[in-house]
Amino acid sequence: MKNAQLLARFIGEARDLLQGTSSGLLQLDRGPGDEAALNEVFRGFHTLKGSVGLFDFPAFTKLVHAGEDILTAVRSQDLVLTSDLVDRLLDALDQVSSWVDHLERSGEMPGDADGVSREMTAALRVCLPDPPAGGGDAPAPASRSSVLCVDAPWLATFAPEEREAALSGATASGSALIAFDYLPAEDCFFFGEDPFALVTGLPGLQCLSVTPVASWPAIGTLDPYRCHLRFRGLVLGPSDAVETAFRYVPDQVAMAPVPPGFLGGEATGEGAAPTVEPWAPMARRILGQQREVLAFALEEDGRAARIESVIRTVSGLLATGGHAARSRLWAERTSAASADAAAMTELLDDWLAADGAAAAAPPASGEAVPERAPDRSRPGQADGASQDLKPANRVLKVDQAKVDTLMALIGELVVSKNSLPFLARRAEDIYGSRDMSREIKDLYGVIDRLAQEMQGAIMAVRMLPVSEVFDRLPRLVRDLARRLDKRISLRIEGGDTAADKNMIEVLGDPLIHVIRNAIDHGIETPDLREQAGKPPEAVVRVAAFQENDQVVIEVSDDGRGIDPAKIREKAVAKGILDAERAARLTDQDAINLIFYPGFSTAPEVSDLSGRGVGMDIVVTTVEAAGGTVSVTSETGLGTRVRLSLPLSMAVTRVMLVEVGDTPYGIPMDHIVETVRVRRGAVRHIKQAEAFVLRQSIVPLVRLDRVLDLPDRRVADDPDHEEAVLVVRVAGSLLGLVVDHFREGMDIILKPLDGILSSVRGFAGTALLGDGRVLLVLNLKELL
Amino acid sequence: MSNASSSPRHPQGDEVSGRGRILVVDDGITMRLYYRSVLEAAGFEVEEATNGVEGYEKALASAFDLMIVDINMPKMDGYAMLRAIRTDPALCAVPAVTISTEASERDAQQALRAGANFYLVKPVGSKELTEVALMVAGRSPR
Repeated sequence: MKNAQLLARFIGEARDLLQGTSSGLLQLDRGPGDEAALNEVFRGFHTLKGSVGLFDFPAFTKLVHAGEDILTAVRSQDLVLTSDLVDRLLDALDQVSSWVDHLERSGEMPGDADGVSREMTAALRVCLPDPPAGGGDAPAPASRSSVLCVDAPWLATFAPEEREAALSGATASGSALIAFDYLPAEDCFFFGEDPFALVTGLPGLQCLSVTPVASWPAIGTLDPYRCHLRFRGLVLGPSDAVETAFRYVPDQVAMAPVPPGFLGGEATGEGAAPTVEPWAPMARRILGQQREVLAFALEEDGRAARIESVIRTVSGLLATGGHAARSRLWAERTSAASADAAAMTELLDDWLAADGAAAAAPPASGEAVPERAPDRSRPGQADGASQDLKPANRVLKVDQAKVDTLMALIGELVVSKNSLPFLARRAEDIYGSRDMSREIKDLYGVIDRLAQEMQGAIMAVRMLPVSEVFDRLPRLVRDLARRLDKRISLRIEGGDTAADKNMIEVLGDPLIHVIRNAIDHGIETPDLREQAGKPPEAVVRVAAFQENDQVVIEVSDDGRGIDPAKIREKAVAKGILDAERAARLTDQDAINLIFYPGFSTAPEVSDLSGRGVGMDIVVTTVEAAGGTVSVTSETGLGTRVRLSLPLSMAVTRVMLVEVGDTPYGIPMDHIVETVRVRRGAVRHIKQAEAFVLRQSIVPLVRLDRVLDLPDRRVADDPDHEEAVLVVRVAGSLLGLVVDHFREGMDIILKPLDGILSSVRGFAGTALLGDGRVLLVLNLKELL
Repeated sequence: MSNASSSPRHPQGDEVSGRGRILVVDDGITMRLYYRSVLEAAGFEVEEATNGVEGYEKALASAFDLMIVDINMPKMDGYAMLRAIRTDPALCAVPAVTISTEASERDAQQALRAGANFYLVKPVGSKELTEVALMVAGRSPR
């Protein structure tokens, strides 16, 4: 078994489960009667417990086990799921989640896991209505309530002479011999129990074995107030007398009668059936259970199938070797059209007895097994359920790094492909072969299409639904609302809108920040809302949708909104601008001041949204990824923040322009249009230049000056036409004067790093098809 | 066990085509991977289902030598699935083992009553799992 692989699978599963379970909990918190959510949450803990059991992480197991116990109690209505309890369960999930992260990094649990687990487990268990003694702290090897299977290895706990003595005692007294396995709870002393006195005081005790539950710890660390012992023994019946003796600790004891002949058979060897193969212990357990199945087959529906399943189980078992004679007998006995359950049971009994072994024990306590309502299981129901089962999507889980590598390779391909047009030009210009040039161009067309399709396909692979981020929000909103005593209903829309994984990653923090702001500053307390004539419960709406090549996330609330007057006041107070200019600002411009570095509108910085980071961080992060942020607000009615991000930032489309014989790239999303402006049409306003474009005045900027290129003579010819690239920067139009327009192309933008990373004004570089390096401008920084 | 693994084939030399097919029904993806890797290492062919409904459909759709069924699953739990299978007119008599974290006698009885042939308690070691699989589905019957 490849453990690493199994662990990797577990980590993935655990994350999915944690996500589903926490959102289920939040749902429960809002609607405690939601049975589906309750079941999902229970199953989350339950499956986690089952899966983690494959590994040796006891701290992990104990914590999820405690969570499962809580939910079991909630399901059986022994416990009411309060918000406080939800908090504790969420804390437990958070802890588990951090362990999962740690497991992923190091393959091990952190060093403090045991202590943390003990504390959190205790915090959960105190909520249980009647904490079970032992509190799940008992080591795994024996679950006390499990069925005791009396077989040879178990009996080997006792020395042969002890067993013989027990047997003769049983024969002499004519009572049944009962085997018991008593694992006292670790904290049993605190409940006034005295396991040793209890066991030694058993009437008719024949053999007793006392063993440590686990290997003894060093004497220094041994806790003498905990019970570390396990008691096993044989006692003379009747069984109800033994049960009475253990009546205070029924959950810590397993009991089973030792069938007559068992011990004797063991003691005298295989005298009873020397010619047949003895049963392996597992085979004996299986055969024993087939008897029970046969018994149930007569009571339950589906008798034929049940009996047939027994026949097949036993046939399979007999076929595993050494049971030729029995196999024939079984075949004869079951081949009849009407396989007779009674006859089969008899045969099984014979075999088990002849082998001198016991089958799996009958119910230890002898109490009636509670019936489970069988109506849910009708085949008709099953058919109904199967109809709403969608055909399973076959999903391949792939390491992110592999997809990234593929993406990088395709990026290289795109760049290499771009060199074909250069080659075509060379073929024509240098080698004078126009035909060759055309062929290369044709080939380029094909490769270009393939590369684009490939790029599209791999982009689709990298697309993730924004719900990846949205799924974290309900928890966030709930916690904030509880801490601030506000009532908030979160509405999420468009969670399945997809965007590139990088964008999703970029989106997370700004989005959370915006929502924090909304809840902290925007939403009023319920009484303030009522005074304002609003419903006490505020609505925060988070919606995602796709708009052209952008993913748009809108966060809107119905809180108090942003008051432009207050913003002006504050901006003046902070010295960001003077009172006169502040007064001239439009309301919208005033609101936009919140993006100004260091601006915060809350009178006091709260511990929630104000950790020294303001909206300016949101803007910086989103713009670094090529997106934009805008905010609109109406005083008293609410605020809407809009984050737009490109669908993907893997490939950037730029337009090449030439200035002073050097090409520069300008991101296509800034470009509005290209125009040619006659020199004579350029207006001079003081030092600046401008031109009129369809009745609006557009300022002109000469790119060579902005880039500090050496001054060149400007032709005075009024008929000379300037190449002007009209771009939109920070919301306003601008004309960029360049020497020549060139083609547009897709590039893989590499940010400037190392010593160049401090150079402002450039978004990065890209490799051109002819091997030259293209500088891509960051107009916002440059202008 | 030694006698099980050393001669898993039918003593009378029936036509044997590898080891049996096993249907694993469990909603836990880790558990399914675990079962699959253990059982495939022992030479079995493994099919997976992620809940009771899917398990029910797969069990009736093709022939298996053994089903390993988890109890607590979404949509339809292991008990319900087994009951449905056993009472289906299409008659599904494939031996079934339930594997669950519940260790009590009551749970075990409930599993057998629902239609399981055998039950094991999680976590099931790979040795134990292989042993049971070999015993019940060590070779294709018929």
